[in-house]
Amino acid sequence: MNNLHVATPEIFLLVAVCTVLVVDLFQTDKRRVVTYWLSQATLVITLALCFGQLGDEPVTAFNGAYTMDSMSATLKCWILGIALLGFLYSRDYIGERDIQNGEYYVLGLFGVGGMMIMVSANNMLSIYLGLELLALSLYAMVALYRTSSRAAEAAMKYFVLGALASGMLLYGMSMVYGATGSLDLATINNIIASAVEGGSDSDESVYRSLGARFGLTFIIVGVAFKLGAVPFHMWLPDVYEGAPTSVTLYIATAPKIAAFAMVIRLLVDALPTLHSDWQQMLAILAALSLIVGNLVAIAQSNIKRMLAYSTISHVGFLLLGIVAGTAEGYSAAMFYAVTYAFTTLAAFGVLLAISANGYEADELVSLSGLARRKPLLAMVMMLSLISLAGVPPLVGFYAKLSVLKAVIGADFLWLAVVGVIMSVIGAFYYLRAIKLMYFDEPIADTVEVSETVGTDTTKDNEAIVTSAPSLSGPIAVRGDVGLGLAINGAAVILFGIFPGLIMAACIRAFT
Amino acid sequence: MGGALITAGRFIGPSNPNAEKNSPYECGFEAFEDARMKFDVRYYLVAILFIIFDLEIAFLVPWAVVLDSISPAAFGAMALFLFILVIGFIYEWKKGALEWE
Amino acid sequence: MTFQLFVFYVLAAILVFAAGRVITVRNPVYAALFLVLAFFTSAGIWMLLEAEFLSITLVLVYVGAVMVLFLFVVMMLDLNIAPLREGFMQYLPVGILVGLIMVIEMIFLITQRYFKADNYPIPPPSDAGYSNTEALGLLLYSEYLYQFEIAAVILLVAIVAAIALTMRKRPETRYQKPAEQINVKKEDRLRVVSMNSEKD
Repeated sequence: MNNLHVATPEIFLLVAVCTVLVVDLFQTDKRRVVTYWLSQATLVITLALCFGQLGDEPVTAFNGAYTMDSMSATLKCWILGIALLGFLYSRDYIGERDIQNGEYYVLGLFGVGGMMIMVSANNMLSIYLGLELLALSLYAMVALYRTSSRAAEAAMKYFVLGALASGMLLYGMSMVYGATGSLDLATINNIIASAVEGGSDSDESVYRSLGARFGLTFIIVGVAFKLGAVPFHMWLPDVYEGAPTSVTLYIATAPKIAAFAMVIRLLVDALPTLHSDWQQMLAILAALSLIVGNLVAIAQSNIKRMLAYSTISHVGFLLLGIVAGTAEGYSAAMFYAVTYAFTTLAAFGVLLAISANGYEADELVSLSGLARRKPLLAMVMMLSLISLAGVPPLVGFYAKLSVLKAVIGADFLWLAVVGVIMSVIGAFYYLRAIKLMYFDEPIADTVEVSETVGTDTTKDNEAIVTSAPSLSGPIAVRGDVGLGLAINGAAVILFGIFPGLIMAACIRAFT
Repeated sequence: MGGALITAGRFIGPSNPNAEKNSPYECGFEAFEDARMKFDVRYYLVAILFIIFDLEIAFLVPWAVVLDSISPAAFGAMALFLFILVIGFIYEWKKGALEWE
Repeated sequence: MTFQLFVFYVLAAILVFAAGRVITVRNPVYAALFLVLAFFTSAGIWMLLEAEFLSITLVLVYVGAVMVLFLFVVMMLDLNIAPLREGFMQYLPVGILVGLIMVIEMIFLITQRYFKADNYPIPPPSDAGYSNTEALGLLLYSEYLYQFEIAAVILLVAIVAAIALTMRKRPETRYQKPAEQINVKKEDRLRVVSMNSEKD
């Protein structure tokens, strides 16, 4: 039980979540002010602990089940920061819809714990358990909105397909375990490397590499399900649309970073010798995701569905970096995952802000005339969408550029061509949303509200003007949410102009 | 001995059965109705909480078997394991999930 | 054919039959019961593999608890069986085709030289003093402590999620308050009224 101290962030998080859970039991306040601030404090302190680990020498703990390296420390900081902003943006939304019970925050924090475990896993079993911890929290969070039948349907779909994917992943892991006799990523790598080197000389080495390849296929299927890569993307649009927007925000952001880390741990740390095998599979997944994601997104009128298909296309880009199979490609993919997460965070944050006062902003038209109703929201949304489209000088441009550079460097010219063409096509639907915000009139109030929430409208009168949902009037935004969104939007520009600030950490993670 | 007692009870004890007495007793249900009736979701909650503590036993048994040969750290780990589940127990108690009407 | 092999084939035959019935039987309750049979038989096969702890856990957890839960769910849903069967015949040809392709693929792989079971020596049977439970415990409580604790956290999340999703406080429900029931005094329930005796 040496090196226990490197897991301080996780240990602290666990203790703090348990405290939040128990403290929340004794809260009678509908708004859960104490629970909210305790959760945020938990995230801030955990973030500080992770921040302190940046730049430390890589260490493993718990008999090699846990590793603290440059990649895990960096990604944990991002995950925590994004979760923090996510809770901030979600607060009013969930408060209005009666899902602001303590469980929302507790499950969210447990999900963050699962992501942290995935990110610093050094053992197949830790990866799997971290993933399950995350997934279980997410299923429950989607279903928490109990008065909405769409949320229940989304939760059901998510749960069934997610369980199937977990099963696939576990099946693949057990095959790799059967072929190598080890769950430790480094040991698996050594055994398979020597087996592949042995070639077809001995039955045993052939059996080992064949078994591992067999397992690899299942692992890829499981990972592709979790990432939402085509053709395993079916759950994603339905879940994004059906889940309450605050939960969609949660699902769409930080877990993508954790999923990236999982792919790196499984494919690059454990099975690098089978690189030529998984490269082919990922290349197909990436190309299909790029094509389907971007083309289908154009046809969407629901903004959450549109962002879901946009996620699929960005997963394609993320996979491009991993397909390259070089350190450069991996750092580009890591950069992509991180920047994608906080850019999408801003987009969903704006949606949540528009959704206040009992109005559910999930149709594209609800963005109409946003620039006149609340210029800050329109500005942040525009930055986020343009960045997702990949227009310089925003961060999305640099992310796409570095991924494409890595792919071309690995002689996958056709993939790069697909990527470029598809991102040009994809720019269309992002620009359409911007046109709605800046050049269209706000929709008239007579338009039927898609889903009104007529529950508890008693709010603390510090920031929100209580009124009937209006679709054309100005939107009131809480001061702290506005500040968060402004910082988030500024980050999209800042890191676009100075990508080196993030890229340096990404390069360090793979050297 | 058991058989003898039952037999003795059968012969010595008074026995005046009627239809009500002979009908099978089932707690909480009408004894005779369609078997495919709806169950309340609360039964499900009790069952799922039971499964969780059932799984805990599956972890406790191997621990108890090797208790003599494991390190103090493993002892502490089990204490932590139980502590985490006790938090869950406190939660369900306070939430009223264990209450019955 | 040794006795062991005979037992294996009997159990395997029952297992395949039960698993097949799970998906072909019309009544969902019967399907759940066939699943119980399948679990029980596979527990028997695990016992043959000298994995007695896992085998007993399978019976305890799956047959004893998970299947009860399944039955609850089946009963809770008050399923109308007919719509579930709609389109069964329609999808059957595609289903058979997919199944057939999978079987052929598996035959290709399994009959390869390297997947043939007889390439691998049967592991020697462990001696009488060997305890599967003990071996598992030693490994779980030395090498896999971290994963063990994560398992506890997952169980905690399961408790929280189950309660958050199914608990519904209804105003009309009445609860027992054991403390008040025990502390009740004679005076609270019983009132002695003194009255004159009356004659009719």
